Amino acid sequence: MADYFQNSEVTTLPNIIEVEFTKIDKSYLKVILINFFLILIPLFVGLVLLDKFTFTEEITVYSIYIYALFTSFFGLIFLFLIFSFPKRMYVVRDKDISYKAGLFTKKITTVPFSRIQHVEIDEKPISRVFNLASISVFTAGDSSDDLEIKGINKEKALQIKEFISTKIDE
Amino acid sequence: MNNLFDFSTFSRQSTKGILVIYIAHLYKFLKLTWILVFLIVKDFTKITNKIDAIYIYAGIAFFLIFFLIRTYLIFKNFQFKIENEHFILKQGILKKTNTAIPFHRIQNINFKQNIVQQIIGVFEVSIETAGSSTTEISIKALSLQKATALKEIISKNTKLIEEEVVEKQETKPLVRIGVKELFKVSLTENHLQNLLLFFAIVFGLLQQLQQLSDSLGQTEAIDGFIEENTNAISASIFLVIIILLLLTIVALVSSFVRVFLVHFNLTAYLKEDAFEINQGLFTKKSIILKKQKIQNITISTNPLKRLIGISFITFKQAVSGKINNKKKDKLIRIVGCKKEQIEIIKASLFNPTDVENSDKKHPENYFKRRLFIFTFLFLILAYTITYVVYSHFEIFYSTIVVVPIVVFLILKKVKKRFYKISDEMILVGKGLLETHITYLEIFKVQNIEMQQTIFQKRSNVADLILQTASGKIKIPCIDFQEAIKIYNHTLYKVETSQTSWM
Repeated sequence: MADYFQNSEVTTLPNIIEVEFTKIDKSYLKVILINFFLILIPLFVGLVLLDKFTFTEEITVYSIYIYALFTSFFGLIFLFLIFSFPKRMYVVRDKDISYKAGLFTKKITTVPFSRIQHVEIDEKPISRVFNLASISVFTAGDSSDDLEIKGINKEKALQIKEFISTKIDE
Repeated sequence: MNNLFDFSTFSRQSTKGILVIYIAHLYKFLKLTWILVFLIVKDFTKITNKIDAIYIYAGIAFFLIFFLIRTYLIFKNFQFKIENEHFILKQGILKKTNTAIPFHRIQNINFKQNIVQQIIGVFEVSIETAGSSTTEISIKALSLQKATALKEIISKNTKLIEEEVVEKQETKPLVRIGVKELFKVSLTENHLQNLLLFFAIVFGLLQQLQQLSDSLGQTEAIDGFIEENTNAISASIFLVIIILLLLTIVALVSSFVRVFLVHFNLTAYLKEDAFEINQGLFTKKSIILKKQKIQNITISTNPLKRLIGISFITFKQAVSGKINNKKKDKLIRIVGCKKEQIEIIKASLFNPTDVENSDKKHPENYFKRRLFIFTFLFLILAYTITYVVYSHFEIFYSTIVVVPIVVFLILKKVKKRFYKISDEMILVGKGLLETHITYLEIFKVQNIEMQQTIFQKRSNVADLILQTASGKIKIPCIDFQEAIKIYNHTLYKVETSQTSWM
């Protein structure tokens, strides 16, 4: 575990691009997909029921297109989720924590420990099944854009939280 | 030291506070129900039946008494004290809340006086923290002596304010804006914005009226009236010109009224470690702003303002949560600063010479391209939809006017986007008609973000977003390598700085 906590010397201007990032836990993809289907299935059932009971003659003519649209829309989201998953990466250095993600729009955020107000660990029901947690850090000001890393192994998340907490107190 | 007041036991606000709260309640109630009241008053003469009139009188009396009792209970239950460097407040009639704020969390203490408070001679004292806006405390009515004593006790421990209100006359103000200057300031306001604001208010009222008339079944009459008049407008250019003239006058007058109300008798004092700003006509406000708590400042100007030789200066403090409209009111501005005064303010906060002397860097060409593409896509879409709806080919004639204006505005926007960076500070310029220049000390950054879309990747540019405790500062579309350099430099500065950021 120790190798996650290494960090190049801050005084030598560490380059965020050259830092080696850690991918998030692979089983989190399952969580994402379960969540996806939890939304998809009720919607699909709803659509079928609509088609069976409420659609009028004029609409049922087009129902094949409606299904096609529905499938392609969610198909694209499905592909997006799968392909953007490996882009989610994080790194904890000696003095800051960074997270990057994004398939079409690459985004990288770094929060220095010296500015963190508090750290939070969340366990959502499905994540808990896979022993995963998400870690959020909050800074002062508008905190909505601070950093949240979803899908880290729970023990590791607790370690990171512990590490950051000691760093904040310094 | 003022020992006249004992804050160690619970005390209430001045009894005059009952009146202040009562009037505030009635005002709020009237604001919500003015249409109903209007209707009752309008038809009141028609009511001949005595019993009906009695019902109405009884209803009014009931509300007045109900509010009086409520006010008294609010007053009675509102108690505060100071204990162990905490400000403790108990309040609530049915739902009791107990708030404790440690002194070191207090960001500023403001004195405020609305018209009622001015008449009866009490001050509203609000205690603000950087934390959640709901924990903010406002004590509606305190005598000047008690308010000052409270401020003194809190500031003694936080070193928040060293001055007393009484000392004001002795120090010479840095900025003083009289009526004549206010008039100048209002001339250079963003009239378009004020006009929109004015219409927002008017439309708000109209909408309420319409809802009312809907329920009374008179919509058709109004619709007919509007339709008749819109036809008349499109027929007559003369009318259009008159309306434009009227709009201009409305815009100017609304700008003036707004500036006059908010900034009446503005005086700003420069102190050892704080600014003190007093202003307002109906609502007098006195703000003490600790220099250390200022996250960044923005200097705004426009061609007209430059001509008169004034700029606005906006101080941004730490706020929590989304910066919504309500919090925008918390922005502290000094309007109508002269150049020398700006220099003094800047120099008192930080050392701006380094950053001002460094090279001016502009976003890459991609920024201009992106603006053009998005704007014209939007225009094409808007025109297509309008054409589909109205199917008049004539609407395309307007492009002769619209396209050059849009191009001009985009080029202006591109030209005004720049940044300068020195070892300690970043200066970001932006604007459309107005020019805003923001000064930010790098170590005050809370977190940093870099964004790159796949289109940006092809052009090798990226957006940088510096998150401060008072909001985001964006530097769009700069060279990717440059962005990485700033990213790393910012992190280095934040992580090695020992200075407290607030």
